[in-house]
Amino acid sequence: MSENKVDLKEIDRSIHDKKTDKDYSNRAKIGLTPKIIREISKEKNEPEWMTEFRLKSLEIYQNKPLPDWGADISDLDMDEILTYIKGEGEIQNDWEEVPEDIKNTFDSLGIPEAEKESLAGVGAQYDSEVVYQNLKEELVEQGVIFMDMERALKEHEDIVKEHFMQLVPPDDHKFAALHGAVWSGGSFVYVPEDVEVDIPLQSYFRLNAAGAGQFEHTLIILEKGAKAHFIEGCSAPKYSVNNLHAGTVELFVKEGAELRYSTIENWSKNMYNLNTKRAIVEKDGLIEWVSGSFGSKVSMLYPMSILNGKGARAEYTGVTFAAEDQYLDTGAKVVHAAPHTSSNINARSIAKGGGHAFYRGLLKVTDSADHAKSTVSCESLMLDNDSKSDTVPVMDLNTDDIDIGHEAKVGRISEEAIFYLMSRGISEEEAKAMIVRGFVEPIAKELPLEYAVELNNLINLELEGSIG
Amino acid sequence: MYRKEYLEKKSMFADLIVEDMGDGNISDSEINESLERFENIDLDDDLKDTIAKKGKEFFESGVYIKAPAGKKYETPFELDYKTGSKENEFNDNNLIIAEKDSELNLVVDYNNEDYKKVIHNGLSRIIVKENAVVNFIKIQRLNDKSQNFDLNLSVIENDGEINWITVELGARETITKNINILKSEGSKADIKSIYFGDGERKLDLDYTVKHFGRHSKSEIESRGVLKDKAKKIFRGNLHFKKEAKAADGSEKEHILLMDKRVESDSIPALFTEEDNVQGEHAVSAGQIDENSLFYLMSRGFTKVEAKKLLVEAAFNPIFEKIPLNDLKGSVMNEVKRKLE
Repeated sequence: MSENKVDLKEIDRSIHDKKTDKDYSNRAKIGLTPKIIREISKEKNEPEWMTEFRLKSLEIYQNKPLPDWGADISDLDMDEILTYIKGEGEIQNDWEEVPEDIKNTFDSLGIPEAEKESLAGVGAQYDSEVVYQNLKEELVEQGVIFMDMERALKEHEDIVKEHFMQLVPPDDHKFAALHGAVWSGGSFVYVPEDVEVDIPLQSYFRLNAAGAGQFEHTLIILEKGAKAHFIEGCSAPKYSVNNLHAGTVELFVKEGAELRYSTIENWSKNMYNLNTKRAIVEKDGLIEWVSGSFGSKVSMLYPMSILNGKGARAEYTGVTFAAEDQYLDTGAKVVHAAPHTSSNINARSIAKGGGHAFYRGLLKVTDSADHAKSTVSCESLMLDNDSKSDTVPVMDLNTDDIDIGHEAKVGRISEEAIFYLMSRGISEEEAKAMIVRGFVEPIAKELPLEYAVELNNLINLELEGSIG
Repeated sequence: MYRKEYLEKKSMFADLIVEDMGDGNISDSEINESLERFENIDLDDDLKDTIAKKGKEFFESGVYIKAPAGKKYETPFELDYKTGSKENEFNDNNLIIAEKDSELNLVVDYNNEDYKKVIHNGLSRIIVKENAVVNFIKIQRLNDKSQNFDLNLSVIENDGEINWITVELGARETITKNINILKSEGSKADIKSIYFGDGERKLDLDYTVKHFGRHSKSEIESRGVLKDKAKKIFRGNLHFKKEAKAADGSEKEHILLMDKRVESDSIPALFTEEDNVQGEHAVSAGQIDENSLFYLMSRGFTKVEAKKLLVEAAFNPIFEKIPLNDLKGSVMNEVKRKLE
């Protein structure tokens, strides 16, 4: 991958004329420097505080060690990061170069031609502004703000400044620091008091921001009593030559507000997905996570809910599917920091073809969380003997007046169930697929129809020819 | 370092080999031959180091017990490890061997004569051979100044069985590991554990079962009470190694939280490399059931009495498996006293 390195000079050029100059290919590797950060910030016309924020984050990044637990990320070439930070818009310009399996997946999922190219990162980005135009007008009337982060930083600087990386500070971990230094793109959503947004807001339609999908920053603020459903990504695999994804999601759910955040992450299988997602929920608010992790080579993803106000609630429904060569380390973190808070975690994982599915969760109840209630349930399905499935939930309880229940199970598809289905004239392969689909049903039914259909197709695709 | 009275008792157990490790009656080669069984087992390197170090340092303390093939000893063999005022530390390195088709009941009781600080450093290695059974009861009730570091390691062969009852009531700090290797087909491990954290007690408890053998079976059940400023970490690890087909393992922890200032960490983990297994774990934590408390109080019990009864009820399924009535009574009384 190192021969794709591009020169630093390119940073201050327009992202569209990248093809004109070719003499950068043999330059030496140069890591991230304050100078590059300044240039990125300058190019984006950012306010001074953001430039400073980026520089501070860079400093933290350079001084922080890589995490010494979880996935093996020693293969990750950190210098490579520079390639795409400055190479925004440095998209694959030939459809022919997109790997065959990615193309086939697009076909199987029935993705329209134009979108395929966009998803593969080739050609022009699929411009969906038109599709969204009517919706946008409706939203604007209600006072809802939905735009990309770059624009939000200019048009709603105060709101952004007040919330940006307050929940996930750059010193949280090395990749949060990296994110703080080089973030680019992402969505900004602001829903005013008591406004209920009926249609799901989909970040998919915002993917046309340059560099989005690598270090995108999502910031969602729901004022008192507001309601919204946000959908991140889409179920088709996104392909990119760049193999690190370190996005950040920050969700602020104010008093009585309700937010549902749905994600199907299906990165191509060369990707290191090191995303950080966090929500803070005030009095009587609700955060609902619906999370599906399918793609990527390595994922370390632990959406966290901080229940900060009395009566705040969190729900997490997640499915992780680790196939060949994949190590998916996912789980939910919940901090009960106020009385009468409740949480409900339902995690399911599937491992097949030598894949490794790891559930790692945290449930923390602080000493100010009287009458907290939590139930955690983890189920793992092993589809063969080469795969691995681990479950490590941590429960840290610091007060007594609480009610906590946790259970986990691991096993394979029951032979009786297969036998029964086969006795009904269903082939063994189809019987197994049916059982797997049933296993992920809890998440499928939480998704909008078109996503649920795609999810099913995706599972069929993953199971095809490998099961039985 | 400890009383050798148990040696006098051995005449009651026909053919049972009981020796003090310090007396030199068991040859080094015999010991080494037995210890070889622990060499090629899957353990973390630092744990191997700890075991090797402990084994070497305490080579001359502890007991050697061997039940010959086919012999079944139903009467429990008791080891009362009581430390006296002259000791600052107390080490025991026990090697227990149950030969084919034998059965052995062991009770170890760690306690002090007085209120002087003692550091207990223990290592027990247990070999359970084909179709043998070892029932091992360990009670730790050292005084509140003492520290307790205890490591237990067992290897279970074909259709062999180890049944643990561990009761952790004492010591200011206690760190224990209990690791069981289910090496061959049909081997079993059952761990019942009780802990009581009160005052400023700190407990770090690790119960691990590694399933290698087909049809191996394990169950970990832990019941604990935490009050005052007690801190506890419970680690339950179930490993299903590849080819441990039709293995079945479960772990459960029930925690009664009796004070706002307690700290309870639980990490029940499952590690699975084989699809044909059944594994599960469950944890529940909360206060004493208010309805039960209310009911008992409406029947004229004071709150303290009612709480004692309910804790007793929670512990009883495990306590009633202790075969010695005197011991059971005195342990139960100790728990009740802590609730006053």
